[in-house]
Amino acid sequence: MRRRRGGAGNDPADLARRLGTLLTELQLSEIEASVGDVRVRLHRASTSGTLAPTHAPVPVASPAPAAAEPTVGAITIEAPMVGTFYRAASPGAEPYVREGDVVKQGQILCIIEAMKLMNEIESKVGGRIQKILVENGQAVEFGQPLFLLER
Amino acid sequence: MFHKLLIANRGEIALRIIRSCRELGIRTVVAHSRADRHTLPVMLADEAICIGPDDPRASYLNIPAIISAAEVTEAEAIHPGYGFLAENPAFADICRSCTILFIGPSAEAIRLMGDKAQARQIVQQAGVPVVPGSEQPLKDGDEVLEVADRIGYPVIFKAAAGGGGRGMRIVRERASAASAFAACQSEAAAAFGSSEIYCEKFIEIARHVEVQVLGDRHGSRVHLGERDCTVQRRHQKLLEESPAPRLSAETRAGLYRAALAAAATVNYVSAGTVEFLVDPSGHFYFIEMNTRIQVEHPVTEMLTGIDLVREQIRIAAGESLGYGQADVRSAGHVIECRINAEDPVTFTPSAGRVTAWIPPGGFGVRVDSHLMAPYAVPPFYDSLLAKIIVQGHDRATAIDRMRRALTETVVEGVKTTVPFHQKLLGDPAFVEGRFTSADAARLQG
Repeated sequence: MRRRRGGAGNDPADLARRLGTLLTELQLSEIEASVGDVRVRLHRASTSGTLAPTHAPVPVASPAPAAAEPTVGAITIEAPMVGTFYRAASPGAEPYVREGDVVKQGQILCIIEAMKLMNEIESKVGGRIQKILVENGQAVEFGQPLFLLER
Repeated sequence: MFHKLLIANRGEIALRIIRSCRELGIRTVVAHSRADRHTLPVMLADEAICIGPDDPRASYLNIPAIISAAEVTEAEAIHPGYGFLAENPAFADICRSCTILFIGPSAEAIRLMGDKAQARQIVQQAGVPVVPGSEQPLKDGDEVLEVADRIGYPVIFKAAAGGGGRGMRIVRERASAASAFAACQSEAAAAFGSSEIYCEKFIEIARHVEVQVLGDRHGSRVHLGERDCTVQRRHQKLLEESPAPRLSAETRAGLYRAALAAAATVNYVSAGTVEFLVDPSGHFYFIEMNTRIQVEHPVTEMLTGIDLVREQIRIAAGESLGYGQADVRSAGHVIECRINAEDPVTFTPSAGRVTAWIPPGGFGVRVDSHLMAPYAVPPFYDSLLAKIIVQGHDRATAIDRMRRALTETVVEGVKTTVPFHQKLLGDPAFVEGRFTSADAARLQG
């Protein structure tokens, strides 16, 4: 989502998103940019096509059986709808997940409120929450990255 | 006046709405699909929000996503543009129940005029002439034959819920009536979710003339003249002009009266268009009322100097028109050519990448377009790329000016309708203002 005024131009997540779009569109394998004191570098994971920030554990050629496990990397959980992002079921409640938590496939990660309906957003995969990319109460658009997960 | 408006549309009309909003001091939010995220309206709006994937059913037709987008961006009004949700009464109702202002007429007016058979009955009761045909949707093959025999062949079958040239079938002889009816029914059921079909006499040689009306919430209603939209292929308009050539003063005045009478039947508020067929003797018949801004609205804007989108917004905000029929003036002659991304011979859509775009300019030329280069024409939406509108002090000048404008126009990378228009502007029937639906049939792809 883009807001002309008061925009989060120096927000790392925002910058990463924009770079991610460019990376895909220009079909690059790697891209780096800095805005102010924020510097972001992205590279495309070789097999899954998902974007992985370089500070994520980069899949190294493992001596272990290569065929059994898919390449390890960060998975992005995107907003499946437009709405307001909430980390907890109700204002005073504990958040569904925190950074560092290990989640199972199908576990509820957050709520997106759209037209007064609270939609529970489940994790499509299991993994560890590496980063929560949006703030509680923030408006999110369709396709906006919400979480980075490590497999 | 409200402060923020969400545009639930794309392409040139989204840009068109942004322009009027900016002049009115209203902030804009463009709700867009994923495919449209790098388009001109998204760049030029104050805000943009992605509401869904490429498929319009999950984005531009996704009512919950659009309402939610308006809520999170705190937009107070939604402009639906044309197509998509513009003539969906349920959407207008939902906007109202969410206290979002819908820029357009009432849901009731959309509903009444959206049902073609019902609209026909309503306007007929108000004294507006309609094409001879069935009063009710046809029930079965026996009734089809009975009605068609009574009104005489050729006849045209139309889906009650159809529009924009879709869901129609012409039948020239009794032998093929029943099978054509069955085919039309199943097509209508698939395309519009309703298999209701009615039957009309098909007026073979006719002109398609529509009247622009504008009404406010305080009971004022004016017409802004007519547009001749006879140049069509497969019932899709390609060129529109105003005033309509070779129309008698009597027919013209009759059309205006009939259009205002039709609009009055549903207490019409906002901009709307009443469409008629005009036969060679000057008799005219109501076809339908379009309860939205139309693609060809700039023709009327150039002619009258009235910004129709601005008027729609002012009216929705409760302002009064502030002028009467006598204050509406028109100047010269205006022609619009639609530049679509399609093969000019076969008329099949030509999606692809626009590598160069040079719009025409100069005196008396307006271009409404979301094109930029490079631009990938997405295959998910309609193929309209640009509208070129020219004004001249008379029709001959306007034709010369349009020829000149088309000569300047450069669109590289996709095939367009530019060559079609160049050919048309040299067609004797068109140049002499004698173009009819029979000529339009020559242009069918």
